[in-house]
Amino acid sequence: MSALNSVGRPTPRIDALKRVTGAATYTADIHIPGMLYARVLRSPHPHARIRKIDVSKAQALAGVKAILTRENCEIVWSSGDTRNKRYLFNNPVRFAGDTVAAVAAVDRHTAEEACLLIEVDYEILPFVLEPEDALQPDAPEIQPGGNLSPNNQGKHEPTIERRGDVEEGFKAADHIFEDHYQTPHINNAQLEPRASMAHWEGDKLIVYASTQGIANCRSDIAKDMGLPLEKVEVICQYMGGGFGNKNQCHDFDLMAAELSKRAGAPVRLEFTRKEDFTAVHGRWPTVQYYKVGVKNDGTLTAIQMRGYSGMGPYRKGAGDISGAEVYQVPHFEKTSYMVYTNKAVSANFRAPAYPQGVFALESIMDDAAHALKIDPLEFRLRNFTRKFRDQQPYSSSGLEQCLRRGAEKFGWKQRWRPAASDAGPVKRGVGMGMGMFPSSLGRSNAIIRVDSKGNYYLHVGVTDCGTAAKTTMALIAAEALEAPLSRINVVWGDTDTCPYSVGESGSRTTVFTGQAVIEAAKDLKKQIAEKGLPKPGEFWRADAAPNPQLRDFARYSFCAHFAEVEVDAETGHIRVAKFVAAHDSGRIVNPLTAESQVKGGATTGIGMALHEQLLYDRRSGLPLTAGYYNARIMTHMDAPEIEVVWVETEDPYGPYGAKTLGEPTIIPAVAAVANAFFNATGKRVRELPMTRDKVLGVLSEGALA
Amino acid sequence: MSRKASSKISRRRFVEGTGAGLAAAAVVPLHAQQQKPASEPAALAAASVPRTRVKFTINGVARSMEVEDRWTLVELLRDHLNLTGTKIGCDRGECGACTVLLDGKSVYSCCQLAVWMDGKTIVTVEGLAQSGKIDPLQQAFIDHDGPQCGFCTSGQLMSAKALVLRNPHPTREEVRAGMTGNLCRCSNYNHYVEAVLAATAKSATAGSGGNA
Repeated sequence: MSALNSVGRPTPRIDALKRVTGAATYTADIHIPGMLYARVLRSPHPHARIRKIDVSKAQALAGVKAILTRENCEIVWSSGDTRNKRYLFNNPVRFAGDTVAAVAAVDRHTAEEACLLIEVDYEILPFVLEPEDALQPDAPEIQPGGNLSPNNQGKHEPTIERRGDVEEGFKAADHIFEDHYQTPHINNAQLEPRASMAHWEGDKLIVYASTQGIANCRSDIAKDMGLPLEKVEVICQYMGGGFGNKNQCHDFDLMAAELSKRAGAPVRLEFTRKEDFTAVHGRWPTVQYYKVGVKNDGTLTAIQMRGYSGMGPYRKGAGDISGAEVYQVPHFEKTSYMVYTNKAVSANFRAPAYPQGVFALESIMDDAAHALKIDPLEFRLRNFTRKFRDQQPYSSSGLEQCLRRGAEKFGWKQRWRPAASDAGPVKRGVGMGMGMFPSSLGRSNAIIRVDSKGNYYLHVGVTDCGTAAKTTMALIAAEALEAPLSRINVVWGDTDTCPYSVGESGSRTTVFTGQAVIEAAKDLKKQIAEKGLPKPGEFWRADAAPNPQLRDFARYSFCAHFAEVEVDAETGHIRVAKFVAAHDSGRIVNPLTAESQVKGGATTGIGMALHEQLLYDRRSGLPLTAGYYNARIMTHMDAPEIEVVWVETEDPYGPYGAKTLGEPTIIPAVAAVANAFFNATGKRVRELPMTRDKVLGVLSEGALA
Repeated sequence: MSRKASSKISRRRFVEGTGAGLAAAAVVPLHAQQQKPASEPAALAAASVPRTRVKFTINGVARSMEVEDRWTLVELLRDHLNLTGTKIGCDRGECGACTVLLDGKSVYSCCQLAVWMDGKTIVTVEGLAQSGKIDPLQQAFIDHDGPQCGFCTSGQLMSAKALVLRNPHPTREEVRAGMTGNLCRCSNYNHYVEAVLAATAKSATAGSGGNA
């Protein structure tokens, strides 16, 4: 791969100084004189009809300026549900945390007090928490038409994906493996709680949002508030993480806008941490049933999967269970049920459909390798995908190199031993998993201006949710303009000064917006070559809005993760002792910040394997672990050192051949840890997370027999 | 079956209910609040909230001001002193985003009341730089790409600073233990630890223990 000048050079973030001095301004840091504070009242019941809401006492409290309920606000939050009409305030309320009222007051204490003074008369309805239970004929109906959410054809039927004929595949197999797995609802748990600040300048609405996509946030707000696009401005200068749950507009953006309109003052709506855990969304929980056919030599003949995803009561997310494409197999069938439940809503969280699916898939593949006495690495080298769905060539694939070079760095040959080799109380084992994630092409925009001194102004509609997108765009611009990085001034995070950019979701910004930056740079370079630099006070400007499309190829990023764990058979504690993550994301634009992505994603995946979940009480239907302490996200003490291996394939598409990175990093980590546990103990935990109770449970299986 | 109203407990009530020596801030039982007739709801308005004058030093500057007894320290910093570098991640003592130095020790400022600050010395992230020069820890955070989204960064820095003040050359394990009260959901723990080790290595030219 040819070396470049700026791209590929480890570069600290261009805004790093602001991030380490407290000068970076996040949404809740913005203060407008005369602003009000808003709080939300939420349902304490998992399913209930509201007979009556009495806001008179709250209204009479000094300092209360506006109250919204379903009785006086009929705004629909269109991106909150792709199948049903989801209002800002719903009746019936369908999960513990569903919105009931919002109050704006002179300070947050008064807003909180006012919420306590609102009297709600609930008629309690029966509820259901688990997707398979929700499909039973006697289950309470959560949405009209039944609890099986409509598929993409609008039918209340499962989504089916088929290739070949799995029955043929099972006939051709020497061995059949069947098993089932379960994964919980996990909250994104980004550090920055939800906040939205809205104010009106005449008929123009300005929203300071905490969003991964100012452009789609703006178009959503305009649509739901019934405003022309140019009457809405969305600003997000610094953003404290989202991992998928801050894309598009949210109900709180709309509430802040409406409260501000009615109160005639700027309104900052703030969520508590508990609200953030229960009232936004998390990763969809799944139940997955697998049947896999394998020949004696370890070659796969068929994969059949039936999966149930709990979507909560609103269909905000897709609900797929993905990842099986990473295996080459002639016969494949996947049947997916996306089901309404009375738990918190499920939608996007870093590689939304993948870590759950890959955990289950890689578990059964590991069991197959174990039964056939094949080294798990060898099993994967035999079966990894050569063509997408065995049909379409990849634009580039470094999967084999991820497996080989990752294993070498990890010392797989020296470390791997047959399962349950340690007799003592501390059992050591190694495991691996592999994954892939789409790296498509598509439309995004960029504008670059140059002044008389050769300073460049790069306008891109990114918010930089932590991915270093601003720095990435500046590096690509510097490369394409053949200019030093110090000459590139990035203008970002404001829909009035930035063109459309794809939201920071699907790990698309580097590829989509990066390509637009290259196109704009080419145009501007041409202008400068023709006309020279502009006169003082003038600018040359280049706009680009490319919409490249893939033909004949599938474009994916690939990865393989390797973990070593120590299991204490007496306490049930699992410690990750060593971890290697090998990634093919094409050319790496900024190795410094890219390494942060891999280390962070893998660590989050380890947490998903070991201890994270939003646990519900079956009898009350209430969440029990809605907070950092109980949901048990990873800490400094939990986090192992992650070693990163880059497999930089040459890809003919994307900016300098860059592919997606942010999301693949979490995908195989969960499976690698689960498989390492199996290798250590010879037992398998089929339901995540692998908490101590479950670990001790499987370790004592057969002990009393 | 029918139930009325919410049984939510506000932060103010929680802090009031648990904070010792706060006799002035009368704890009114929740049910009494709700049964109060609508004609006299102003009892809770800001004007009637007890206030206390406190004197403290913040980032090297002596201040004297009247604070509402219900304010937390992080509220005082962010809403009334415009020091928004200190973040609120959970407001319940779980995440560490609001960590500041109180008399040289790291504390969660969401779990301190502003009225307790009388006679205290507070340092926030805005006070780390000295005479226009950023702290070596801050420089190491930049060089090692510690902050991703950056929301936990101020807290991570203040915990690291407290650690370095009591232990100028910590080991890797001491850094992890010293900062484990600071969550990072971008999970960039490796880089934060590397940064602190680099800034405090015996070979590092500038020690970072001298400021604050």
